[in-house]
Amino acid sequence: MEYYLGISQTIGVHTLLGLSAYVLLLTGQLSLAQVGFFAIGSYVSGILTVIFGWHVLPALFVGALVAGVFAFLVGFPALRVKGLMLVVATIAFSEIVRLVFFNLNWRVEVNGLEVGPDSTQGFREIRYFAANGWEQAHVVLLIWLIVILVMVMLWWLDKVRAGAVLRAVGEDELAAQSSGINLTMVKVAAMTGGGVIAGIAGGLYAHSTTYVDHHTFSILLATFAVSYPILGGLKNVLGTLMAVIFIQGFIIEGLRFMGDYRNILFGLLIIVAMNFRPQGLVDGNFTSDVRKLLRMKQNGAGADA
Amino acid sequence: MSNSPLKALALVAATALAFASSSALAETTINIAGWGAKSGPLRSFGVNSEAVMKAAVARVNEMGGIKLKNGSKAKLAFDYHDSACNAEQAIAVARKVASESNALVGIGPTCSGAAAAMFGVFQKKVGDSGDTGLQFPILTDTAVRNGLAKISQWTFRNTPNEPDMYDKLWAWVAKNHPNLKTIYGGTETDQGHSNGTYSKVIVQAATRHGFKWSKGNIEGLTGKLASGFKNVLSSSSNWLQADTNFSVQARAFRRSGADIFIISSHPFTTCGMLKELKRQRATPKLIIGLTSSSSAEVMKGCAAEAEGMIIPTSFAPITPAAQEVAALANKNGGDADLHSAAAWENVMIIKQVMETVGVTGDPSMVQKERRMIRDGLESLKSTNGLIGKVTRVQDEGEALKPYVFVQAKAGNWVVVHDPR
Repeated sequence: MEYYLGISQTIGVHTLLGLSAYVLLLTGQLSLAQVGFFAIGSYVSGILTVIFGWHVLPALFVGALVAGVFAFLVGFPALRVKGLMLVVATIAFSEIVRLVFFNLNWRVEVNGLEVGPDSTQGFREIRYFAANGWEQAHVVLLIWLIVILVMVMLWWLDKVRAGAVLRAVGEDELAAQSSGINLTMVKVAAMTGGGVIAGIAGGLYAHSTTYVDHHTFSILLATFAVSYPILGGLKNVLGTLMAVIFIQGFIIEGLRFMGDYRNILFGLLIIVAMNFRPQGLVDGNFTSDVRKLLRMKQNGAGADA
Repeated sequence: MSNSPLKALALVAATALAFASSSALAETTINIAGWGAKSGPLRSFGVNSEAVMKAAVARVNEMGGIKLKNGSKAKLAFDYHDSACNAEQAIAVARKVASESNALVGIGPTCSGAAAAMFGVFQKKVGDSGDTGLQFPILTDTAVRNGLAKISQWTFRNTPNEPDMYDKLWAWVAKNHPNLKTIYGGTETDQGHSNGTYSKVIVQAATRHGFKWSKGNIEGLTGKLASGFKNVLSSSSNWLQADTNFSVQARAFRRSGADIFIISSHPFTTCGMLKELKRQRATPKLIIGLTSSSSAEVMKGCAAEAEGMIIPTSFAPITPAAQEVAALANKNGGDADLHSAAAWENVMIIKQVMETVGVTGDPSMVQKERRMIRDGLESLKSTNGLIGKVTRVQDEGEALKPYVFVQAKAGNWVVVHDPR
């Protein structure tokens, strides 16, 4: 059971990371900065629990907040550009963050043990959960409560005017601006929201793996973050979840025995998906098909009655 | 009744088959698990470890298997998993093995970063009921970064002790090459093991034995471990693990005019750096390398450029046992080096511990026997390694392994000094 609970932790954390990219993708912006915010959330919350002895919940909150602040600050200059230039700018940001943590050396003695970030040697002993008696199931519960909360909020956002505004900017910036939408405000808000979500994901990642170093926050993770919503589709938040389950649960974990061939398969599947389902796994057709199916079942049940 | 002899024969055959199948069913198997990088850039490490582990398990079974508590023998079986040098994957495999299998002990993982994360999810102190970490014994063969086994009392390592090895190496160089006075070097800074060993161990050991930095004194650098390590790094000419161009670094090495170059990196960039040094006609009098580069990869990738390089290593085929393991590793599609050869020693250590503590092979006793094996590993004072006796550092879960100094000569690693 421990194993399956561990996998569900990984899926939960990666879903949050994917959702952080999803928010920004709604506005039509492809950002690779999510991994930078993820790193900030990891280190800040890790430092708070390990060095300052905080409870994990406020530490996660502050980690997310700090990541959000950075996302807000980065949002203004970064979102002045778009398309490939935005990708380059956000990669640059993520690399700056990675290199800051690569060089961060803040060692403190706590209970006779030297702890804290140790530059290239990484940041060990982020053991809040195990050291405080949290069972695996408790950690899974916490992670999935946060995932569900974020998904419900994003679902709700899609149903209200704010969601329509995000999608309007994503569909056609010029048309959105013509209807009085403040593009900068919308994009920066999306970047900030995505930053907060990535920050929480980072905090949960650090505490569930107990260790982070600069390798963790590579361009590969940034690619995964944007791959989830792109592969899953932007129609709704479920697409991101489905893509994470498919990639992390099936390809990486289920096909472990295939070794390096997993990476080849991953690439092939992306190509196939982009060709056959360019709008993602959960596109408009998928949701309308599900609705039709549900309606048919309801009608059938009514006829039987 | 003409067919009665046939019936009797069939009855005998059926009875024999029944006995054979019942004895086969009754055969007890003891499981262990291994995992390491079998995919990604470092896959050769996992491939080598698996090849050696396979040979070691086969050898145990050829010797009759594991002697159980009741005096009977059980076969040893193993599974090897790919954890891809990735923290999440190493943790997932550890959880899978600990919760979904009857494996009594694990060997792995490859990378120090993955090990640092994985060890963190284990219970820190044995018997601490407030700590919900995994309770499963690990005996690592490859992850060599300093101090990892201290993370949990369930984790042990059979990896070389680099501070000791480099101290003795520089003492030997000072004695045998008295005309060499100056050093200069670099490391792959984004690789924790290469970087940490270079900036906190190798340069300090050289200083301790009277060698001078060729470009003047480095502030804070004394012979003490880790002294002035930040200044050591900033004074050096470094590169990254994924680099493929070393022209700037090689030029800095050449211009340093040092007698001895230190190249602290894994085989892949060691070869890149050595090739560039040769291309730029840099001619040091001696090159010192990182333990992890005393492997077949360097000989396959850049034997000519590595000619003369000296490295301390805890494995070389210098004893009949080590030669046999090297041959068996090749037969299984891998290479025995200082990392993978430890997998052989680990399997033999595990056999010894299992027989000492008395495992039963009873699946209902798995958790209890994991604890017994952990305690058995902790109580070991020394073990027999492939090139000599290995001393266990009991309160730290670490090992002090015997070592030799090897030099690249004509496409082979040749022992130039044997301090055992």
